[in-house]
Amino acid sequence: MLLRILGKSLARRRGRIAFAVISVVMGAAVITALLAVSMDVEQQVAADFRKYGANLVVVPQSDTIEVGFPGVTFGSVTEQGYIEEEDVWRIMRISWRTNILGFAPFLYSVVRADSETASQDVVLAGTYFDRDVEILDRYSSSDPEAITTGVSVINAWWLSKGKWIDRSDDYRSALVGVNVADKMGLEIGDTFTISFKTHGDGNMTTSEITVVGLVETGGNEDNQVLVNLQLAQDMTNRSGKVHTRQVDALCTGCPVDTFAEEIEGEIDYVEARTVKQLVSAEMSMLGKFEGMMAMVTMVAMAASVLGVTTTMTTSVIERQKEIGLMKSVGAERRKISLLFLSEAAVIGTIGGVLGFVAGVFLARSIGLSVFDTAVSTNILLLPVAIGISVAVAVGASILPVRRAQAVEPAVVLRGE
Amino acid sequence: MSAGIISAQGLTKVYGGGTRALDGVTIDIEEGEWTSIVGPSGSGKTTLLNILSCLDSPTDGEVIIDGTTVTGLRQDDLTVFRKKNIGLIFQQYHMVPYLTALENVMMAQYFHSIVDEEEATDVLRGVGMGHRLQHLPRQLSGGEQQRVCIARALVNEPAILLADEPTGNLDQENGRIVLELIRSLQKEGRTIIMVTHNPEISQLGDRIIEIVDGKVRSDQRTREE
Ligand SMILES: Nc1ncnc2c1ncn2[C@@H]1O[C@H](COP(=O)(O)OP(=O)(O)OP(=O)(O)O)[C@@H](O)[C@H]1O
Ligand SMILES: [Mg+2]
Repeated sequence: MLLRILGKSLARRRGRIAFAVISVVMGAAVITALLAVSMDVEQQVAADFRKYGANLVVVPQSDTIEVGFPGVTFGSVTEQGYIEEEDVWRIMRISWRTNILGFAPFLYSVVRADSETASQDVVLAGTYFDRDVEILDRYSSSDPEAITTGVSVINAWWLSKGKWIDRSDDYRSALVGVNVADKMGLEIGDTFTISFKTHGDGNMTTSEITVVGLVETGGNEDNQVLVNLQLAQDMTNRSGKVHTRQVDALCTGCPVDTFAEEIEGEIDYVEARTVKQLVSAEMSMLGKFEGMMAMVTMVAMAASVLGVTTTMTTSVIERQKEIGLMKSVGAERRKISLLFLSEAAVIGTIGGVLGFVAGVFLARSIGLSVFDTAVSTNILLLPVAIGISVAVAVGASILPVRRAQAVEPAVVLRGE
Repeated sequence: MSAGIISAQGLTKVYGGGTRALDGVTIDIEEGEWTSIVGPSGSGKTTLLNILSCLDSPTDGEVIIDGTTVTGLRQDDLTVFRKKNIGLIFQQYHMVPYLTALENVMMAQYFHSIVDEEEATDVLRGVGMGHRLQHLPRQLSGGEQQRVCIARALVNEPAILLADEPTGNLDQENGRIVLELIRSLQKEGRTIIMVTHNPEISQLGDRIIEIVDGKVRSDQRTREE
């Protein structure tokens, strides 16, 4: 019966109800859009973490240069200190070690590359591809004795063509960044030479290497030549040295800051930086957007509350006789409230659903114009939008409902 | 105390503006009696009826209905008491405009206890409205609406029926139908109190109470027992 009364009374006052619904839609749309955009952009930031391939970068201490993450820019490399390769395994001694998926050391140097068609300076990056690193002093006896790690483990997606170098004693193979391959006319199977002139004595070392794969990251790697760490060390006469280490500890919600501190405690001459610091620009942009949207949301919510309160108040005044009549035939105040709050809930639900739909489009256009991304709204926001809208509509109806409860049948049922 | 089903002692009602609508009304009504309340306009008849029907509370005085002192009860308790004991018929036939005749009756069932469509239909048939169940109030004549209101007042089987000029807005023919209905209700044993302006109609009851300026001017039986 309540449903019947509800349905018919709503149907009869379609115009007014529509007004209330529209005001709820505004609030719900803005909230949906806000949540959708923040969730999506946050997800993309997380994706960027993954794109960078690691969420911690370990560099030698007092390294004052700006690390142009993820690679290190050419000019600054020469000033850098080194990390000892023999300390590499120590990273597995932190208490969070089980969250470390892998790591890869990098040694950078500028070398001359000569192919059949071109000759130019490129950054040679020596690294691990797929290597078993022995953990010499295990944190706990239940830890494994070695970890298989390297670029192919933590950055498997870098490879765009060909294959990884699978042996650590392979000094004749290279992976070439797509930009390098493009400029030098290199394809898989082609052979080219790289040469390095030592600063002091002017000695030249030369190697002939074959392209086995192409890497494409959208970042600095596209301009590099990747070879086994030993080859780079030998050629540049820096055996046992590495510049940086990328550590992949990705698990959303991990305390990477703690990781960093622990690593610094374990290897005392390094600094560990989190990618979060490096992508903080993106985050602060999101923060500003959220601040702005929170204000817009407050305004929209206020409008929603106002719209619903107005509609419900008008409704109560218009229906005084009806309320008085219901009371005279035995409706307690609770039942009167139930009737009006149910109306509010219906308004909230419809408003929430429509607001969600509007919010999806709003989020999309905000995403495109502010963040240059296509924001897709999570369907889980639908119940959230409905819940908030119902709460707003019901909350906004409390005063009008009080008014309905206070209607005195003896007064309103007295003749005209 | 008397054994009357309704007993009012020294009822006084002073409205907000200072109007003394009732001034020390004491009446005692027997179960199964049909009482007519008459009096000039503004004398306080509706005010008295509202107080007896628990829609309003007196400024002073006490009402005891069927052994329960209703004066001083909280609003919701009054509502509960009313729905269990009292059926109300107004001069203006108030109906919920967007509900059909049948639904208007079922609404009273809903607020009282549980909805029983068949029973509601039967009661409407009883007031001769069996052929208008699905009509909305605006599709019904005044007399038909008043009959729906009577059905609504009756559907929960109240022992007491209070009517404020139930025929005031009806033509003679419809008025006659309504009065006959009320007569048959009395025969079923219900107590009836009816406000009326019409001296002829007041004679239909067992007893006539005249109110003037908020006081009982006269109280007499229409025929000797
Ligand atoms: N809510 C109210 N506030 C103030 N005064 C009121 C109120 N209701 C009624 N009155 C006054 O109380 C007095 C009695 O009113 P009441 O309606 O009881 O008279 P009545 O006998 O029913 O009159 P009628 O025959 O015209 O229906 C009148 O003077 C009226 O103006
Ligand atoms: Mg009156």
